[in-house]
Amino acid sequence: MNDQTILHIKNLEISLKTGHKILNGVDLAIRPGRVLGVIGESGAGKSMLGSAIAATLPRGLAISRGSIDFDGLTLTDMNAKTRRDLLGRDIGFIPQEPMSALNPSLTIGHQICHHLARIGLRTAQSREDRAVELFSEVGLDRPRDLLKSYPHQLSGGMLQRVLIAMAFASHPRLVIADEPTTALDVTIQQKVVELIARMRETHNTSVLFITHDLQLAAEVCDDVAVLYAGRIVETGAARRIIEAPMHPYSRCLNLATPNLSGPKARLMILPGTMPSPLERTVMTGCEFAPRCPLAETRCHSSRPALEEIVAGHHSACHWPERSGMIAPPATSAEQVVPTLGSAMILQAKGLGKAYRQHDWLGRVRRVEALRELNFEVREGEFVGIVGESGSGKSSLTKMIVGLEDVTSGTLEVVGMDRATTPRERFFDKVQLVFQDPQSALNPRRTIGSLVTQALEARDSQPSAAERKDMVAALLAKVMLPPDVAGRFSDQLSGGQKQRVNIARALCSNPRLLIADEIVSGLDVSVQAQILELLRELRNEVGFSLLLISHDLAVVRHVCDRTLVMCKGEIVEQGPVEEVFANPQHPYTRQLVAAALGPVVVGR
Amino acid sequence: MMRKKFRLPDLGLVIGGSLVGLVLICGVFAPWIAPYHPNDQELLYILAPPVWADGGSAAHLFGTDSLGRDTLSRMIYGARTAMTVAAVASLGAMLLGAFFAHLAGYFGGWVDWIISRTVEVWLSFPPVVLSMLLITGLGIGIDKVILAIVLVDWTRFCRVLRSEVQVARGQDYVAFARLIGFSHLRVIMKEILPATLPMLITLLSLQMGISVVVEAILSFVAMGVPSDVPAWGQMIADARIDMYGAPWGLALPIAAIFVTVLSFNLFGDGLRRTLDPRHAANRGT
Repeated sequence: MNDQTILHIKNLEISLKTGHKILNGVDLAIRPGRVLGVIGESGAGKSMLGSAIAATLPRGLAISRGSIDFDGLTLTDMNAKTRRDLLGRDIGFIPQEPMSALNPSLTIGHQICHHLARIGLRTAQSREDRAVELFSEVGLDRPRDLLKSYPHQLSGGMLQRVLIAMAFASHPRLVIADEPTTALDVTIQQKVVELIARMRETHNTSVLFITHDLQLAAEVCDDVAVLYAGRIVETGAARRIIEAPMHPYSRCLNLATPNLSGPKARLMILPGTMPSPLERTVMTGCEFAPRCPLAETRCHSSRPALEEIVAGHHSACHWPERSGMIAPPATSAEQVVPTLGSAMILQAKGLGKAYRQHDWLGRVRRVEALRELNFEVREGEFVGIVGESGSGKSSLTKMIVGLEDVTSGTLEVVGMDRATTPRERFFDKVQLVFQDPQSALNPRRTIGSLVTQALEARDSQPSAAERKDMVAALLAKVMLPPDVAGRFSDQLSGGQKQRVNIARALCSNPRLLIADEIVSGLDVSVQAQILELLRELRNEVGFSLLLISHDLAVVRHVCDRTLVMCKGEIVEQGPVEEVFANPQHPYTRQLVAAALGPVVVGR
Repeated sequence: MMRKKFRLPDLGLVIGGSLVGLVLICGVFAPWIAPYHPNDQELLYILAPPVWADGGSAAHLFGTDSLGRDTLSRMIYGARTAMTVAAVASLGAMLLGAFFAHLAGYFGGWVDWIISRTVEVWLSFPPVVLSMLLITGLGIGIDKVILAIVLVDWTRFCRVLRSEVQVARGQDYVAFARLIGFSHLRVIMKEILPATLPMLITLLSLQMGISVVVEAILSFVAMGVPSDVPAWGQMIADARIDMYGAPWGLALPIAAIFVTVLSFNLFGDGLRRTLDPRHAANRGT
């Protein structure tokens, strides 16, 4: 690395008070005008990097070794005041959730002008003019009116633009973007990424781009560092790491990500979980070794150092050249597409849903959430629903499971009319897998009691022994060890919780399973496990699936057919390959284009 | 796997709990602990100072009051009154408040509206005045005091628990329980109550402290228990007249109230900290 660096993190180590290391020996350098991506799954310590630079490490964590140099100054040696002056002026931040980053009780103008005053704009008029100028630069319409609006009046994408404008207002040398697009819809995500790239170019700013999304990193970044269990396992040019990784972990991550084009392969499943800081302290070998498909005895006993493999490409592996040998599990012969039954599991004709809203005078206004939906799901069929927030996906699920009433049209579920049939008849036939396993699992019940909870509602109670057998069978179905039955949900990892969630829904042998964004909060490797699990279950247990997701690749990977929803209407439906390869409706085209990524911006 | 980790028990819980236990033992075993009957008079020993003051004697450790009754015995019997009222009244207020809180929080809509407005109207009365009004109407006696406290203080439970129920109600596991066909009653008992129970227990402990104070206030103004039943508030009222000559007669029952309420509050706070699910989450991974 040459000496012309904006940010140079040297041998950084962040530890807990107990001495367990969160980050260990991290070396990173960003040159002017470059974008460095830091990729990692949750628990890898990637957000700690941003916090360490901003001096906002959570309580109980401290930098125990190493230093952070910014533009020739050592941040870690500075006193709090000089460091604070630097932040916001020379180092900008783009937060993960724009909705919570702005004060809801102050106008946008107030907040941005406050920031501009801090970076040295003296008069009110100059601040306002600069704000307007910045807003036009990030592509916000009617910037003058925006100054007077409050954060809740703007959409997430607009707020993120405001925050980007603020981050770049002072022509900072460095901008830290911590998952800036995670909370946004796909099409808006795209625009935000393009915007960051453009701002980077006009201001010649370096960007530290923290993300969990491999595809996104490939689009945005020049260089990428892959973080695993607090260590950097691979660094190098973004393209190279995504296309020809030299570390088994990067390769596995790559194979675990479903894609929207190219042949449908099975996803790579990494066994186990990332070691916690506690477990890492006792490990002598490579942290990835227990999960690595290539690991040999040497990997468990000695830790490989980060070494240069090719010019500019570093990897911490004893056998970096073997990484390419890791192949996705073969699409085995028995993976035949199950023949679809002729019975209709779900049939909607002219289905609509309208809500009545009262304003403060009591005047009633009808809001149509769903209009004229016509679709069907056949027995054994996996159907995906894609659409952005506000498209009416959740209203539809609520209607199917019976949490909301049908207001127009007909909805037949498992051959019975939802509106007229008593609720009890649907209980065993339709099940919902909730999005957030944290909230969906009662923390006060054991896993065993959770997965067989559906039995409690029946008239005839099975004996304790029968119930125990059922628990074991259900846990085996979702590939969980039988000994988790006695534990509580807070003792499980996110992926395990989601499996319990699925097992619970399968308890009553439902004919229709509705999965509402079940992988959206999960890491890439965990997502792969759940998606493969769904495909496995399809062969074993016969049920139809309605998978709701904002991620087109996920739908393509699991489903046969897809519906595309926009503003309460189905704009397109058909077999996944057809819809995604040859989208007809402009909205679908926009979605697919956003998901495929731009023709590499700003390079 | 699970590893038993030794954690220092909560200090407030231990101190508060043991003091509460002590007062409770005094109340339950009063006839065996107390050296004299609380209403026995010894007219030769009027306003005797406690044993540590000048002229005190070991026969009456805490001295005697203006009618020659043993202060220590009266305090021990007073604990019995205080504890009966605290336990029964708080439990009653809890049951009534929790019932309406779960109804309001779970069903929402107009049920919630009616219950919440009722609670608000109820709370707008000054609590002490309301309880005195009730006693005036009901007459005096331990059971009347208990009833008055229940009718005044159920709103406290209802208010706090209602929001707790609403939080639990919003969880997906409650929606799931409905989807597999649990009845409303079953959902409340099996899914929601376990989640609100820690708060319920904590509130109960704090309410017991409040009940002790209310009982003391009512007996002080002679609207609590009948005069032949010893109570701390009554002792304060009796000792008030000779306050300058015999300050101990006043100070000791006040100290008893103070210690009891403080220990209930410490105990309640300790319970809240210990039962907090965020602490329970540290059960190892």
